[in-house]
Amino acid sequence: MLKKLTAKNSGILTAADYKKTGFRVLYGAIIFVLLVAVLTALIPVLWLFLSSFKDASELTSTPYHFFPKAFDIKKLAEVWNMLDFWKYFLNTVIVVIGAVICSVFFNGLLAYAFAIVKPKGWKIFYALVMASYMIPAITSIVPLYNQIVNLGMINSYAPLWLMFGANAYYLMMFKNYFESLPKALFEAAEMDRCGKFKAFFKVVIPMSRPIIGVVAIFTMTAAWSDFLLPYLILQDENMMTVMVKIYNLQSTMGSVQGFGPDKLLMILTISILPQIIIFALFQKQITGSSAAGAVKE
Amino acid sequence: MKLNSLPEDRSSVSYRAKRLFRRNWSGWLLMLPGLLLFVFFVWAPLAQNVILSFSETDGFEAAGFNSFENYVRVFNDPMFSKALVNTFKYIFWSIIIGFLVPIFLGLLLSEVAHFKSFFRLGIYFPAIVSGIAVVIMWSYLFDPNPGAVLNQLLSALGIPASQFLSDPKLTIPLIVVTMTWRGAGGTVLVYLSALQNIDNSQYEAARMDGAGALSRVWHVTLPHVKPTIRMLFILQIISVFQVFYEPLVMTSGGPDGASVSLLLLSYQYAFQSFDAGASAAVGVILALIIIALTVVYLRLSRPKKDKISKRWLRYAKKINR
Repeated sequence: MLKKLTAKNSGILTAADYKKTGFRVLYGAIIFVLLVAVLTALIPVLWLFLSSFKDASELTSTPYHFFPKAFDIKKLAEVWNMLDFWKYFLNTVIVVIGAVICSVFFNGLLAYAFAIVKPKGWKIFYALVMASYMIPAITSIVPLYNQIVNLGMINSYAPLWLMFGANAYYLMMFKNYFESLPKALFEAAEMDRCGKFKAFFKVVIPMSRPIIGVVAIFTMTAAWSDFLLPYLILQDENMMTVMVKIYNLQSTMGSVQGFGPDKLLMILTISILPQIIIFALFQKQITGSSAAGAVKE
Repeated sequence: MKLNSLPEDRSSVSYRAKRLFRRNWSGWLLMLPGLLLFVFFVWAPLAQNVILSFSETDGFEAAGFNSFENYVRVFNDPMFSKALVNTFKYIFWSIIIGFLVPIFLGLLLSEVAHFKSFFRLGIYFPAIVSGIAVVIMWSYLFDPNPGAVLNQLLSALGIPASQFLSDPKLTIPLIVVTMTWRGAGGTVLVYLSALQNIDNSQYEAARMDGAGALSRVWHVTLPHVKPTIRMLFILQIISVFQVFYEPLVMTSGGPDGASVSLLLLSYQYAFQSFDAGASAAVGVILALIIIALTVVYLRLSRPKKDKISKRWLRYAKKINR
């Protein structure tokens, strides 16, 4: 175990420092603090998982026990069936798939225009994108809502898909990536008298698999947990997404027969499982690019 | 070119317009779909919001100019002054908790030699399970019931039971804790990548000069991450103006407005008191604040070679004066 420490030759503290006992104690403290940080990050969600298997009285029992008396998988099935939860899951999957397609296509295409094609006037639009970059949509939710109503798109998934096509953060990730591609590639496409639109599909997209993957993953988790616009737009019970249904369940708690806090916790567990699975599958892409994206924005 | 045709006048307006169009039409066409979406989802709502904020409203639609009436009404609303004061409380706590914690963790993470990827993944984990579900989870963790998990933990430590979110003194700090829990991981990764970009020879040189560990941190590490720190400081402030879901779900802005944020207030004006004009007025104020902060942020984060944003920033600065 100590080998890693005596071989450490970069950073603020190196092997030379770790010869001294004082620094070894300090290193122990570093490990301890990081461990506490990781536990702080994990325990709330772990608590949720364990609590969702408890029954209502167990949630506040004294003395408190962290683990439920029994892991009854039947409770999961019971809650799931009671609410017809597959319906909301399916709706959310529809929203997520549409959002990923729109996010990759529209942001990618605009970033391609900004980074490579650069038609006259692009800088104006780029500056506009950047200026409005961090303004939450909620600041102008009434006009946005009006527009959607006026187009008759209440109870439609279209606005939820298309909204992800106008995302400055994904746009910037694409733009940064395209700018790093070799220029010769696009010159060759030009020589072939390949149209610019065709070049996007034949040259840019095949060369951009990594960044497309990253934007797709980010969009997936964002669309999965998207709440406000779906909440305002999807008024038909049969079209609601998981997050909208959860919010409704929480705010009408007690009015549904036999639906108490313990069952809500189970629903919460079910609803964040897909995100955890995505994270487990793509951890490298997710942690790798979230830093890169934020720095270059 | 045919010999008998007159040479076209290359300086004529129509010739230049034609040339401009010929060279750019395909690029413009490429920009069109994306820009239309930005118009629909971002820019048009923002512009209409400005109009709405100066209008009398009929339902959610503008119905005639009423000058600054909406703004005056908002400024006279005690809830607005509460939200304004809360904004400063949010800023204070998010600097104490949300801003310092990631710097510290990033530093530790860059120094650790064991289980590095485990620590990195663990710390980042909360960022991935974001969404309303997690906010609801927190409101259950902060259950003020004396038998609930945190109060039992407190009583085991000999501390009296807490009201948590229902305690007006605690509600904002606790909301900031949950926001930090969710956001710190991403920020830590940003610091980590900045720290790992520091050239090791600088540390060696400092060591040669006999610099102790603290002085290495002070003279080598800090100057290198200073730009990142400055940038993320502004981002931290911006994020305070984006606070919405946590108070909406956990407290509805309560108790008695103790946690209401400007954004939540704008939403409540629109969808609870159905006062679209007041909602728009708060929205416009918020948008202006955020644009100003974004300009500062972009100026700090932009690599120097990018001329256009610089020019744009200079222009923006001129207007702001």
